[in-house]
Amino acid sequence: MYRIRFHGRGGQGMKTASRILGTAFFKQGFEIQDAPRYGAERRGAPIFAYVRASHKLINERGNMTHPDLVVVADDTLVPVPGAGVLTGLENDTVLLINSDETNNTWKQRLNISGNIITLPVETEDRAELRFIGATCSGAAARLIGDISRESLELAIKEELAELGDDVIEKNLTKALTAYDLMASYEACVNNSKSISADNYKSPNWIKLPFDDARISAPDIHATANSVKVNTGEWRTLRPVIDYKKCNKCWWICSTFCPDGAITVHDNLPEIDYKHCKGCLVCVAQCPPHAIETMAEESTLNQEEQS
Amino acid sequence: MKRMLLTGNGAAAWGARLAACDYIPAFPITPQTEIIEDIANWIDYDEMDARIVTLESEHSMITAAGTAAATGVRVFSATSSQGLLYAMEMLYTVSGWRAPFVLVNVSRGLATPITLEADHNDILAARDSGFLQIHCSTCQEVLDNTLIAFRLAEDERIRLPVIVNLDGFYLSFTREPVEVPNSDAAKKFVGDFNAENIRFRASTPISQAVAVLGGSAYSYFRYETHLAALNGITVYDEIATEFSAQFGRQYDVIENYYADDAEYVFVMLGSFSTKAKQAVDELRNAGWSIGLLRPRLLRPFPKEYFQKYLNEKKAVAVIDQNISMGMGGVLHSELAGALYDQTKAPKYLLSFIGGLGGRDISTEEFFEIAVAIRDAVKTGQTPPPRLMYTQAELSEIRKLQAIANVERNELTDKEPGDKEPGDKEPGEKTLGEEND
Amino acid sequence: MTEQNVTIYRNMKNLPSTHLLGTGTPMCAGCGGLEALNQVYDIVGDKSVFVNAAGCMTLLSVYPFTPFRGSWIYTAMGSAPAGAQGVRDALDILIEKKRIDKHEDMQVVVLTGDGSAYGMGMSATSGSLERNLDYLYLCYDNEGYGNTGQQFSAATPHAAKTSTSKGARGFPGFKKDLFAIWVSHKPTYVATVIGAEPVDLARKIEKMTKLQGPRMIIALSPCPTGWDFDPQETVNIGKLAVKTGVWPLKEYIDGKVIHTKVPKQRKPVEDYLKLQGRFKHLFEPVRNEQLINEIQNRVDTYWSEVQLL
Repeated sequence: MYRIRFHGRGGQGMKTASRILGTAFFKQGFEIQDAPRYGAERRGAPIFAYVRASHKLINERGNMTHPDLVVVADDTLVPVPGAGVLTGLENDTVLLINSDETNNTWKQRLNISGNIITLPVETEDRAELRFIGATCSGAAARLIGDISRESLELAIKEELAELGDDVIEKNLTKALTAYDLMASYEACVNNSKSISADNYKSPNWIKLPFDDARISAPDIHATANSVKVNTGEWRTLRPVIDYKKCNKCWWICSTFCPDGAITVHDNLPEIDYKHCKGCLVCVAQCPPHAIETMAEESTLNQEEQS
Repeated sequence: MKRMLLTGNGAAAWGARLAACDYIPAFPITPQTEIIEDIANWIDYDEMDARIVTLESEHSMITAAGTAAATGVRVFSATSSQGLLYAMEMLYTVSGWRAPFVLVNVSRGLATPITLEADHNDILAARDSGFLQIHCSTCQEVLDNTLIAFRLAEDERIRLPVIVNLDGFYLSFTREPVEVPNSDAAKKFVGDFNAENIRFRASTPISQAVAVLGGSAYSYFRYETHLAALNGITVYDEIATEFSAQFGRQYDVIENYYADDAEYVFVMLGSFSTKAKQAVDELRNAGWSIGLLRPRLLRPFPKEYFQKYLNEKKAVAVIDQNISMGMGGVLHSELAGALYDQTKAPKYLLSFIGGLGGRDISTEEFFEIAVAIRDAVKTGQTPPPRLMYTQAELSEIRKLQAIANVERNELTDKEPGDKEPGDKEPGEKTLGEEND
Repeated sequence: MTEQNVTIYRNMKNLPSTHLLGTGTPMCAGCGGLEALNQVYDIVGDKSVFVNAAGCMTLLSVYPFTPFRGSWIYTAMGSAPAGAQGVRDALDILIEKKRIDKHEDMQVVVLTGDGSAYGMGMSATSGSLERNLDYLYLCYDNEGYGNTGQQFSAATPHAAKTSTSKGARGFPGFKKDLFAIWVSHKPTYVATVIGAEPVDLARKIEKMTKLQGPRMIIALSPCPTGWDFDPQETVNIGKLAVKTGVWPLKEYIDGKVIHTKVPKQRKPVEDYLKLQGRFKHLFEPVRNEQLINEIQNRVDTYWSEVQLL
């Protein structure tokens, strides 16, 4: 069975990517199972999607604990613990990352012995990010090796039928370019077996101890501890204040920020980058146009530089 | 203490009053209305220092009960059947808040067809919700167990809401002598409500009942609620012992009526069990070795007590005043589950269903059940489950169907509107004709 | 000037510079509802209990994180006002019976989306108004069932595309007039607000906090995910909702409805519509003149009736 896991953010088309690959496998004669996993509908939040493909009936379901191929559409997700990008990676898992950085940089950074392949990022234009899904599924198809160019094309046309010819054309171009680009890595992804009953790791069941309601009620006794969640990791674009142009009319940007992520110190607005989601409302509303939009660098990159 | 004649509803209202409840969110439904009327009246005449608020539905009522308890006051409410089911979403929801309160349910059969008289399908529908359940068979029990229920709910090992169930009409509107405890003694027994750390105060902000994502986290909260509910057996026994010492009336988790040395046992819930007791008396007079077990606590399910009392018995008949469509009697299947791995479990577990929608279960029917038990042992065969219904009842229903124009069509294969010789035109009457 | 009319919010400069609600919540980037909530919370403050109904904002607090400095409880989709009733009554009882000090008291605030307010929660809201419950109600209206993927709700405007109205003409129904329904109960106060007009919003919240009884707000919440636009347009779209007259800013107090911001020269509704993907089918591939006119006419009719008053 092929076990593939996609990682991306809401709005990047991971569900579409998994469906394109699922349909492509299906056209090649495989039995398949594909599904996205997310909480509520949220743009920007990490989501993942699975595809399972086999020539036999697929009984496995749910969490993919031992993927053969992990595709990461947004490299800023790699260090995010909640995104689970590195969960279940084995020595023979192939990791495909949509990134401007090289394979070697990632290998060193992550310290894993498995195969890491990078797919160069084409654009930072937020509107173009919608096509990441197609690019990823195209690349994935080649790495798997059992999916022909024709099956991929048919799959894209079928999955995107509702979106109109222009959109289909654009996605096709991206996907097929990626497919071709991955030629030298063709069929590097394994077709692996399921977990053996002879030799498995025990789940280590315990007898759950009784905790009285003071502890076991679903209540939070802390206040505003949501600040521990770094929603800044959602950003693909970052607003940057040019203090030379800033009029100090903080009441505008600070009030309009939907997340309250602009604080005021000595009459100057400061953007809280740990929490700014990059909506860019402040950019749109700043009267002297003192806030610029910049591409979000990989947070790992920043840590390395600082 | 004074001994007065009280209906079951009156006894429930007294329970709430003696427990010094602060807040009663209400909504009227037959056969519960007298409870909230009594309480409203006492409050209007300053005999009870509490607040009663009528919400627009039972779903809202239970929500308000839960949030008031979660704010930190002692709450009482009451409902029945359709109202309990209308609130069903909130029963599950508020139990997870781990804020305790007492809900009296006056048992009534569920639609369809809509009816007003008693059975147990309503209260049993709530069995998975997280509420504990105490089932009463006399008006005295209703009052006493309402007091016990507050102690049970508020115990730190539990912290879950508790339903006290009484049968509509047979208890709710039936007067029996009830000893009403002295109010100071009752207040002392119940004590003050201690909200512990689940309450709303400006000085201690809290986010309650928050969303949980992820199966492992969710499972923790659900399992812990279950573990708390399981503590109900031990805690009830403790509280009942204390109650007995104070007020002289003993309440066991399962009422055991001559079952100890009996070969055959009836098992049933609720007020009709007193009829079963009467039948047991007569059967024993006639030489039978027979007794009755009546669970007071249904949630948590008193598994160990059942095992203790039923191991080594020859045969048991469970009389369910409820029916799970497509499965049968609920108590029967729960008991079967509790006895399954017991090497000394009774070999024969018979199922009888009766008393739906207030249908009587006659003494003769209890005798017939005893005979069925004995025959099972004799033949070595458990009979199939019996839906108790007589020939006379079927004849009666056929008459009603004839009036409803149902039976006639079925018998003659006619289309509605077809005429036979002698059929009348609509509106035409024969002299002296009466409705048959 | 009565006490009610004195405001500390004369212009935007008077708005709070610190924000009470914690960052780090999973609301979408550019959420117009969160923008309004932030503005409201800054004035209502942390001596409050927020009673929530199912909707996007249920996820403001996901265990173990909460953005609230005050209190919060999630109830159910249809009964948040009943939940508020329980909290309010219980606090009153505790204070009356001197079991807690008066300074432990809190403002009870119901927070729901339009799905609950315009639909499932209507019965509970009506009951609370009829009982004259002393509380605040904040409805963030993103004109659809947002948390489940933007299916149409009773708040969806005519012709809008939603996930259950994807046909060429969009949603065939019309937006329910929740303001009128609430006003018919004659509560203490009802108002419409929008985060894009923060001074108007602040004045209304300020006014509300000085009153007693049911005080109800509907905040139109431009929704990048549900209305299909780039998050940075949230405030622009909000301002246009007001400038085109699509979202009248008004309040009901002392038996009268007063419009607090009357657009002098209303911009054509299409300025507002064409920025949103949910109305794209009105312009592409072909202009649907009929539907655009229908929408414009309804807005014009509304304002002509207002002028007459």
